[in-house]
Amino acid sequence: MAKQMDRRRFLKVVGVTSGGAVAVGCSTDAPEKLIPYLVPPENQIPGIATYYATTCRECPAGCGMHVRVREGRAVKVEGNPDSPFNAGRLCARGQASLQGLYNPDRVRGPMERGADGDFQPISWEDAYARVAERLGQVSGDRIAFVTGNESGSFDRLVNEWLSALGSQGRLVFEPFGYEALRYANQQVFGVNALPSYRFAEARHVLSFGTDFLETWMNPVQNTREFAAGHGLNEDGMGRYVHIEPRMSMSGINADEWIAPNPGTEAILALAIANVVLTDHGDNAPSDVFRVRQLLGGYDPEGASGVCGVPAETIRRLAAEFAEGPSLAVAGGMGNQHDQAHATAAAVNILNYVAGNIGRTVAFGSNPDPSAGSTYRGLADLTQRMRDGAVDVLFVHGANPAYSAPTGLGFVEALGQVGFKVSFARVIDETAAQADLILPDHDPLEQWNDFEPRAGTYLLQQPVMQPVFDTRQTGDVLLAVASQMGGGVARRFSTQVYKDYLQNVWRARQNQLGGSGMPFDDFWAASLQAGGVYQPEPSRAPRLDRNVGQLSFVPWSGVEETGSGDLTLIAYPSPVFFDGRGASRPWLQELPDPVSKITWGSWVEIHPATAAEYGIVEGDFVEVTSAAGTAVAPAFLYPGVRRDVVAMALGQGHSELGRYAQGRGANVYNLLSSEPTEFGGLSHYQKVSIRPTGEHEVLASPAGKKRQMGRGIAQSTTFEEVRAGEGHPFHVEHAAEVPEKIERVLEEWQAAQDRERTRGNYAGEHPRWGLAIDLTRCTGCSACVTACYAENNIPVVGKLAVQRGREMSWLRIERYWEGGEDDEPFTVEILPMMCQQCGRAPCEPVCPVFAAYRTPDGLNAQIYNRCIGTRYCSNNCPYKVRYFNWFDHSAENDPAFAFPEPLRLQLNPDVTVRTKGVMEKCTFCVQRIRDKQNQAALADRELVDGEILTACQQSCPAEAITFGDLNDPNSAVSRSRRNQLNYRVLEGLNTDPGVGYLMRVRNTVEA
Amino acid sequence: MATTAPPDSMPASQPTYADVTRDVAATLGNPTKGYYGLLAFVITILLIGVGALLYQIRMGLGVAGYTPPVMWGVYITTFVFWVGIAHSGTLISAILFLFRSAWRTAVYRTAEAMTVFAVMTAGLFPLIHVGRLWYAYWLIPYPNQRGLWVNFKSPLVWDMFAIGTYFIVSTCFLILGLIPDIAAIRDKATGWRKKLYTITALNWRGTDQQWRHYTRAYLYLAALATPLVLSVHSVVSWDFAVSIVPGWHATIFAPYFVAGAIYSGVALVITLLIPLRIVFRMERYITTDHFENLSKLLLLTGMIVGYAYVVEYFMAWYSGNTFERASFWNRAFGDYWWATWTMIICNGFLPFLLWFKKIRRCIPALLVISLFVNLGMWFERFVIIVVSLSFEYEPYAMGHYTPTWVEWAILSGSFAWFFMWFLLFAKNFPTVSITEVKEIIPMPRKRAS
Repeated sequence: MAKQMDRRRFLKVVGVTSGGAVAVGCSTDAPEKLIPYLVPPENQIPGIATYYATTCRECPAGCGMHVRVREGRAVKVEGNPDSPFNAGRLCARGQASLQGLYNPDRVRGPMERGADGDFQPISWEDAYARVAERLGQVSGDRIAFVTGNESGSFDRLVNEWLSALGSQGRLVFEPFGYEALRYANQQVFGVNALPSYRFAEARHVLSFGTDFLETWMNPVQNTREFAAGHGLNEDGMGRYVHIEPRMSMSGINADEWIAPNPGTEAILALAIANVVLTDHGDNAPSDVFRVRQLLGGYDPEGASGVCGVPAETIRRLAAEFAEGPSLAVAGGMGNQHDQAHATAAAVNILNYVAGNIGRTVAFGSNPDPSAGSTYRGLADLTQRMRDGAVDVLFVHGANPAYSAPTGLGFVEALGQVGFKVSFARVIDETAAQADLILPDHDPLEQWNDFEPRAGTYLLQQPVMQPVFDTRQTGDVLLAVASQMGGGVARRFSTQVYKDYLQNVWRARQNQLGGSGMPFDDFWAASLQAGGVYQPEPSRAPRLDRNVGQLSFVPWSGVEETGSGDLTLIAYPSPVFFDGRGASRPWLQELPDPVSKITWGSWVEIHPATAAEYGIVEGDFVEVTSAAGTAVAPAFLYPGVRRDVVAMALGQGHSELGRYAQGRGANVYNLLSSEPTEFGGLSHYQKVSIRPTGEHEVLASPAGKKRQMGRGIAQSTTFEEVRAGEGHPFHVEHAAEVPEKIERVLEEWQAAQDRERTRGNYAGEHPRWGLAIDLTRCTGCSACVTACYAENNIPVVGKLAVQRGREMSWLRIERYWEGGEDDEPFTVEILPMMCQQCGRAPCEPVCPVFAAYRTPDGLNAQIYNRCIGTRYCSNNCPYKVRYFNWFDHSAENDPAFAFPEPLRLQLNPDVTVRTKGVMEKCTFCVQRIRDKQNQAALADRELVDGEILTACQQSCPAEAITFGDLNDPNSAVSRSRRNQLNYRVLEGLNTDPGVGYLMRVRNTVEA
Repeated sequence: MATTAPPDSMPASQPTYADVTRDVAATLGNPTKGYYGLLAFVITILLIGVGALLYQIRMGLGVAGYTPPVMWGVYITTFVFWVGIAHSGTLISAILFLFRSAWRTAVYRTAEAMTVFAVMTAGLFPLIHVGRLWYAYWLIPYPNQRGLWVNFKSPLVWDMFAIGTYFIVSTCFLILGLIPDIAAIRDKATGWRKKLYTITALNWRGTDQQWRHYTRAYLYLAALATPLVLSVHSVVSWDFAVSIVPGWHATIFAPYFVAGAIYSGVALVITLLIPLRIVFRMERYITTDHFENLSKLLLLTGMIVGYAYVVEYFMAWYSGNTFERASFWNRAFGDYWWATWTMIICNGFLPFLLWFKKIRRCIPALLVISLFVNLGMWFERFVIIVVSLSFEYEPYAMGHYTPTWVEWAILSGSFAWFFMWFLLFAKNFPTVSITEVKEIIPMPRKRAS
């Protein structure tokens, strides 16, 4: 990579050449080392993309990525099909990793805090000298090093480096620490580790507040496997019940949502386990006697009183759960109250009595996204810092100043540390307190490896030249060690982290199945595959001997002064994770899958509760807990209990660059800083709320929340499908065609067909179409961000979203059903993009033919022909055309969406649009043409499924199918013949090219 | 030419030919300070509007309040409003001419001038409204090296032709009608005006032959302009009716729009004539009878418009179409209920007052009613355009639009532009037709000896 000519360098050279040509007349300083692009670098053909396999480090899940590189710059990330986790799919956060690479707020070189308190650039050599000097002055036990989850060679290097310095001050801190789950596994099975959850094999999923489709463990893998295990197939359909006081995005996808009293999930799980064991105990392992007595204390009737869930529901859930391959999950961070370990332990017991351990719950590989991090570890370190026991602190990949509650006093404690070094790529809250910032490479610029679970060794390789003057932290540590000389330097055989990494891999070559081949071959093969994937070990531990002595109490909320009578749930944001995604403009503009709000925080309040307080949507609400206060606009959501308010973690940054700074509220500050019994943070808190009197228009693209019986997003029940009646619930959907105009329509159609026999339209053409399976779609919105990345869609900012001007070519529509009075509340989800109508209303109204139909059935939009009358958008019933109200592509415009170096990400295959023109989804026409050209060059036919649209490619649930509707054997045509197929607003005679398979819910007659 | 006139439409105290020439020419005398003040005021407003437009061109249309799905807002509303205003001029000058309504003679010149200026104002708005104003000429079909052609299926192209034709015909009609009058003034004028009138009078000498050609030409132009009264606004209405937007897609649109256009136009004629008549001391020529006739026209068209409102709602209900029903429900009771009820009260209920002869003959009352009708007609277009667009098929994509200062500035600027032209016209050309007023005055005869 390093020696290749990339586009940046090429342009530099061109610039120098032409500059030199001008200068040569009056100067003798001839430019040196001019390298023409006459001999192109190997593997670099202008216009042809190169793909590099690497690993996504946006969250600790460890998905494989293929990075598309054009002329030396990364333009798109896609899932690595070889990865056992994501199998070619990628979530929105993964897509947005490019905006980490090209973030305009990245630290552009090493900086130290100057005399005036501001950061001043220094050279790397000076920086090394400063660190080495400082380290030479302190004893090892006064050095601490905080990292995020780095389960790979870098982790090993940090530990070796510290031990060379005589320090044991290593701390891994991940805000989503899974402490409760590990603690419960220790309690119930005697294993301080996490298992793998096999959603693909489970037909009955019971989630106790676990957002497994959003942030929990590996959400992409979970989604993929859940869609497979739950979706409709020949054997019927799975069933998923979500138990949580708040309907999360995962809850939206459940067949049934049960909202128990907050914090009583453990009792509910035990009651279910009790019924499973007593009534359906055939699958239970022999040692269930250890819990028989314990469970006997939790009969459904008694539990019903505690949980607020009817006893018959508990019995029904138990019967369903015992029926088939089942899986209960707990330990979601959004459900981590101070009794969360009890919930997790109860769910462990439930899985055990149902015989799931070793089948859908497999121990052995320990896929721990937190790498054993605990919040208590951070609390202890903070105490040491406060006591003045830490002189030098290194922080890499962690931001405790943001993600620890203010009550912990981490920032104040930092003040007691003499020398603080941060390796932050963007100045975050912690780096802002540092004395020295040594910016790390972006993961896309790094050599590294990552082991998200036992047996999976993932590799990262630089996909392009570093964008800025940054250095990989591994290299920095090695350089500092060498500079310090003596024993520290002798500890390491190399000064280059890549060599260190390769040495590690050389040592494990045989173990990883590379025996007998030269290391370079093994290395290249591993790089190409993105790593080495070994089968997952699987163990089924037995119950711990003392499990019967466990006590289970519901969470009650610590009564403290200032606490109120509502329960706050601080849940992980499916968009920002723990807050690290907030600096990515794509993610800021991505509507939250539940609230559909962008660019800020909100407080979810039940409409009835809001009415009590006189709060209407958009009113600012002050949420006060004993620990702190947060203010955010209200979002009235029937998906929370009346005694609950919910807020997403992840916003409210005081640093982290222009996109994150000063946006929304930091909900960590509402949480009690006291570590819980299991060493974690309690995400439940008693709060009181008060409207502040201010109001804002929510920055949300969602117009109406309900679909007014229009059948936009349709659903049916498994019962009806089985009975062969997959008919829509919404009968008003299609307007009937009156008999008298049928003839007119036919004549008109005949005239249209005659037109289609002329010119370019003559002959056989494909008709491109899309099929979307709504039963699989979870609303995770990965496709939306993928579309932004592929199609150069500008980010417009909060004010524009408030005016409904977001440019998202593909949006996930959300409609509420029920939820009023005692009706069950459900949410319908529908991805909506240009429907590429066969009889498109947008085309005839364009006065300048900017909107026209291509022979292969696309509604093309010619940007440079468009004059911006916007009639096409008025006449589009799906409202999928987006207008450039401002000039997002001009550098000197306030609306410029691609500040340097973000615009290096722009896809060279797609036009960047100017102000005053209309744009819309093209079905990724550039990808269609690419594959068509490739097929033509190879003189072969296109294969069905060869063309992948960006949305389809990213979809973790594999809900989207693209292909030729004129080919009766294509997958998309087969989907059209499915009885569940419908097209949106078909009664308008638009003949859309997008078909939806209506959502099927496996509901139970109440 | 009208040779006989009903007695009640003649000036109250019979003026002589000489009186007419003198009185009308007097309106062209040296302007007062008040006139200059007014002109300066409208030009200031106009300049603010121009500034807002330049700002919008520089920054992009986003400085206006557009909130998708409302892609058309104040600009198209105002466009339709001004096109509508333009219609009564031609109605009064051409159709009433063909019907030999002698009372039109005193008011038609004002109405015609108003037509031309209103079309000039209206024609600006499609340009202001498009995203790339600098490429708006791509709407014109002419052979070009770009190899592009216009889409004749698009009503926007029809629109351009309709407005263009209307502008040309109404301008010709105005100028043709002016020729004998200009010639009459030319003979009295001095200085630069003399030159102006000499040129614009096209060498009119009042010979029999010239009169014969003139009256024929006037008749033919009137005949040509008459269908335009109906067609232009029908075409404009098809901008909406050919779409599939609920609330737009209705066969009633053409007659509904034409009636509405004349309604608003007559209202503006009344609004303009009342001060004009006082300032220019034209009470002898523009009498209460004229206003009563105009209010009858207002009443008639108002009733048609009111009927159209009823029919729209009836059809929405009767069609059984969910989307139409929801759209009309939203109009009356949705977020924009205030706009809808402003429109219904101003246009549907207020004209009922004109059933009373007392009110028809009460000038202050007429001024108030005509102003409200203008307001109501602007809101009618606002409701049809904005409210329909805000509530189409996709509930998720529904939105709420509020105009910004840029749109208000440009809207005010358009009024200023219109009044600037009108003020300049009123001071430089006769606003009452000398020739035609003379025609309805009995021939002066030598006293029988």
